[in-house]
Amino acid sequence: MSKDTKSKKRKKGSLGERRKKFAWLVPLASINLTLTLLSLSMILVFVATLEQVRIGIRGALAEYFESMFGIWYYPEQFWGGEFLNAIPIPIPGGYLLGGLLIINLTAAYITRFQWTGKKMGIQLIHLGIIMLLVGQLATQAMQEESRMQINKGESSNYIERFHGVELAFSDVTDPETQRVVTIPQEIIEEGGTIRTADLPFKIQVKHFGVNCDFTVSPEGSTPAGLVKDVNRGVGQTANLSISEKEEDFSSEGLNFGYLIFELFDGTNSLGTWLTLAHPGGNHWWKESPKLSDLAFQPIRHEGKLWGVTLRSEREYLPYSIELLDVENEFYQGTEIPFNFESDIVLNLEGNQSRRALVYMNTPLRHGGKTFYQYQMNAAANYTVFQVIRNPSWLVPYIACVLVSIGLLWQFSFHLIRFLRKNSNSAQPA
Amino acid sequence: MNEENPKKSVKGKIVLWALVLLGVYFAFLPNRFASSSILDFAKGEPAPPTDSFDLEGFSRIPVLRGGRVKPIDSVARNALLVLRNKRTALDEAGNKIPAINWFAEVLFNPEVGDKLKTFLIDHDQVLGLLGKKLSVDGKFFSYQDLEPHLSEIDASAREAGKVEQEKRDSFDQNIIELYRSALLYRKIKATLSPPDPQLSPEMAEQLQVADVLFDPEKDKDLTAEYVRFRELTKELSSRPEDIRMGSADFAKVVFFLDHYSRMNIWSEFFAIPPEKSDPKKQWRSIGESLVGKEPLDSKEKQKMDPSRFASTLQELVSMEPDALAARLLQIRENQKMDPTVLFASQYAEAIKLRREVDPVLGLYEKLKASYQDQDYSTFNQTVAELRMVGTERAGDDASTLEFEKIYNGFEPFYRSSIAYVLIFLIAGVSWLAATYSTTLGRKGETARLLRNAAYILTAIVLLSHTFGLAGRMYIEGRPPVTNLYSSALFIGWGAVLLCFFTEKYLRLGVASAMGSLVGFGSLVIAHNLSLDSSLNPTGDTMEMMRAVLDSNFWLATHVVIITIGYSTTFLAGFLGIAYVCHKLVLSLFGGTTKYGSKLMGTQKDAQRILGAMIYGITCFSLFFSLVGTVLGGIWADQSWGRFWGWDAKENGALLIVIWNAILLHARWSGTAKIRGISAIAIFGNVVTAWSWFGTNMLGVGLHSYGFMDKAFNPLMYFILSQLIFIGIAYLPSFKSKPTIEASA
Repeated sequence: MSKDTKSKKRKKGSLGERRKKFAWLVPLASINLTLTLLSLSMILVFVATLEQVRIGIRGALAEYFESMFGIWYYPEQFWGGEFLNAIPIPIPGGYLLGGLLIINLTAAYITRFQWTGKKMGIQLIHLGIIMLLVGQLATQAMQEESRMQINKGESSNYIERFHGVELAFSDVTDPETQRVVTIPQEIIEEGGTIRTADLPFKIQVKHFGVNCDFTVSPEGSTPAGLVKDVNRGVGQTANLSISEKEEDFSSEGLNFGYLIFELFDGTNSLGTWLTLAHPGGNHWWKESPKLSDLAFQPIRHEGKLWGVTLRSEREYLPYSIELLDVENEFYQGTEIPFNFESDIVLNLEGNQSRRALVYMNTPLRHGGKTFYQYQMNAAANYTVFQVIRNPSWLVPYIACVLVSIGLLWQFSFHLIRFLRKNSNSAQPA
Repeated sequence: MNEENPKKSVKGKIVLWALVLLGVYFAFLPNRFASSSILDFAKGEPAPPTDSFDLEGFSRIPVLRGGRVKPIDSVARNALLVLRNKRTALDEAGNKIPAINWFAEVLFNPEVGDKLKTFLIDHDQVLGLLGKKLSVDGKFFSYQDLEPHLSEIDASAREAGKVEQEKRDSFDQNIIELYRSALLYRKIKATLSPPDPQLSPEMAEQLQVADVLFDPEKDKDLTAEYVRFRELTKELSSRPEDIRMGSADFAKVVFFLDHYSRMNIWSEFFAIPPEKSDPKKQWRSIGESLVGKEPLDSKEKQKMDPSRFASTLQELVSMEPDALAARLLQIRENQKMDPTVLFASQYAEAIKLRREVDPVLGLYEKLKASYQDQDYSTFNQTVAELRMVGTERAGDDASTLEFEKIYNGFEPFYRSSIAYVLIFLIAGVSWLAATYSTTLGRKGETARLLRNAAYILTAIVLLSHTFGLAGRMYIEGRPPVTNLYSSALFIGWGAVLLCFFTEKYLRLGVASAMGSLVGFGSLVIAHNLSLDSSLNPTGDTMEMMRAVLDSNFWLATHVVIITIGYSTTFLAGFLGIAYVCHKLVLSLFGGTTKYGSKLMGTQKDAQRILGAMIYGITCFSLFFSLVGTVLGGIWADQSWGRFWGWDAKENGALLIVIWNAILLHARWSGTAKIRGISAIAIFGNVVTAWSWFGTNMLGVGLHSYGFMDKAFNPLMYFILSQLIFIGIAYLPSFKSKPTIEASA
């Protein structure tokens, strides 16, 4: 590329002009910088892949890809690990390298690329690459992952985030007009006392954590540790004791968020409650009789009945999905599944509805969200969809088209030249 | 290279054609490496013999194993591949026995079958457990050798099973494998010969089942028992009021139902083709054909409520058959958590709906008896009947049966790998000849001839390799790459194809040699993958695809393209190795021999061409790996909802893309010259090997379709070897040879 650049410079004035005009960009456009960045990306990707074994995909994402730099310790179980493990090795992160690559490419665009037909392939490829990088940055910033679980014959109109909880108070005094007040995780994390006009009481956060171990202690034992102040609700009746635990980032990791809070009416304490959030959704508490109330702990206050629960952060949808049937088929005589399928009805506003089948490689797309078959239990008749909202989902598609055209363009040039050059020297077999 | 010689010597022509014929012989014609040849596809099936068993016909009977309808031949071969890592067994004297002969003995004549050497045991401690020594007893053993030690194997395997998979040592792994092998063998043996109910005389007396049970003195075969059981159930279904605890007839029925249901566990493949009326085309084992399948694990029976069970069953049996069938379907759909009702539905089906003994059961009984009696004509006739019934009832699923049977024996990949060795040798000799003639200052007619031979042979073996892939595609009805095994086949194929075209334009013998090397290597890797019991537990490399992969479109685009990307990256890497070797040879001999200067004269030219080849092929690599990776992203967006998830396998593919981009940019910018390019290309081998195998070893991520840990050491050795090559490329003595170059 650079070889040609020199010879073309005189003929095509525009490139030379651009180079003069944006002289400060020239060092940023250096191909050696590209090579360095690419080599560093190799290290980043390799290390982050290895680290997935230790901290899971989400952990690796947070530490390496969604950061400016990460610190890596050579794994202990590898050769010489006992000595090398102690040395912290800084690894340039995804945001740093991605950002620099975008700058490098853009600078090259302005000061190095010729805007001619012959080189159009190169330009398209690099434009596509820029789009892929930008698209990925945008996706990681904007994408939201949730799940929706539906039992057969029932319908659901909300989705729950995989990560992140909220404290929900629902006023169920009048079943007709149920009112729900939710407090998001960010506010709980700040701690202190939470006041809101929607609630007739104040909430004082005593302990909060994203993960814990919990056990049901035998009856009669005195509560100790974190739960020693809990005097109301399930925490007290089931004799729950909990211990803090670090968040598990692995893909199979189950994180039970917990919150111990005290309610005050003015200065008058109403009691201290313990709530636990089930990582699969709070309806799972119903499976264990002693803890079933964790999905709804009643609080009576000033003639009103409130229910409180710490649950996965919810988003209510303007439409609902009803599950008609689930099917899970295996190849005969094997444990290899060949079909997971949910037969659903999408109930839209205005009494409109449509049937849909959701199965592998065929998600349901509606209202900017995509519903993928995620888990299912045909025996227990429920299905779980993974729900994703990714406004930038189209970007990679466009990028791919650009890159493909560019590659084809460029390599067909090369190939034709190669064939022409060699067809003369080819010998008959 | 560019010499023209109008007078091609006759001798040369003869040598050329002899070499080409040799290639055809290895690749297609009948030879000692494979049991069938290309001619067999055209000839069709030979007429059944009259004076021996028609095992040809027997091997073509359709059965279902591993979710796929296949000829018995495939079941036999795949089982032996798991048990003995070979497709043959050995008799007591150590002679080879074809898979189908072994299978017939095991199925029908277990006394003989148990004496055949079927199991591979080569771990000294496992052998020690059996009281054997490798040096004295060899490594192949019969079931009879294992039988006295089964309980010890069982106990040791149980212990080993308690250890976490990553922490198992070689003994643990080997004893678990032996345990699985023994289990597989016993299941095969029991598939067509159900085990005895093991009834004590007192129990038989109490249940009064003696009049139904098989009596070797009176009955011809087991079908007599089945027929009597059917009569019993017919009778019982006419008086549902007798379905209650304490009724003698009901107790009998329950006894046989349990007995036959238990047989399902001891069935390795499904021998009974789908019943004509069955829309789901369910194949059945003998037990299923008699009493249907247990709806839940039999342990769940303990959770049943006996009185509700009896009343439900009574109610079901008194229904009309059609209504009952509909009701059963409903129960299985809606009452999945209720063992009482579920088991009642199985019993109702067995009592009321399964009215006849399937004729196929009788045919297999007849087959067994005639085999034991050496009654050739009955055996051969029964085989013909079974095939007719089987193919008719299996319908379209059995359409590739004939082909698969011959394809099994053709062993296209084994044939190809031998032919690849031949090509490599010819290409190697061609270089020697070229060097020799260069040093003498001659034109090198022999070298040219050999290069042409290697080129033509590449075309021939490419045909047989292609045929092998196409055959798999035809049998599976899928694109070429469906699992790790077939990716190895395809990587080799892609590299050879590209080499063939490169050689067409650059007749240097280099592309032929490197292509055959990659082709041979990938086939050897494929063979070892097929032996890996964790990857390939049934021994069938044409396994079914799990739901998310079950998309021919994406398999045909993303998977194929990314595999071509692997293939071309490897090829570029091997050309890099060729460059290093070339330099090494020159530096070793170039300075010492008196012809050194002439040799060195060729250096520049050869290196320029190698550099150009690496560059050209890397362009392909970047194209395919980039497009393949991006297509993978689109597939991931379709099925998992995200374009890119930093999954291990995705990252592996990304590494290849980046590495190829680095190579090309380094060349374009002039940062790396030929030597640098070669070194980068060789490291590309490491990157590709990591992406192909290494990522699977991490055991994380969604692409865990081929988890494996046995390949860890080979992978490390491979990486080490590549690093050594890179090291050689940068040996200081290589940098320049000013003295020699000056003289040249």
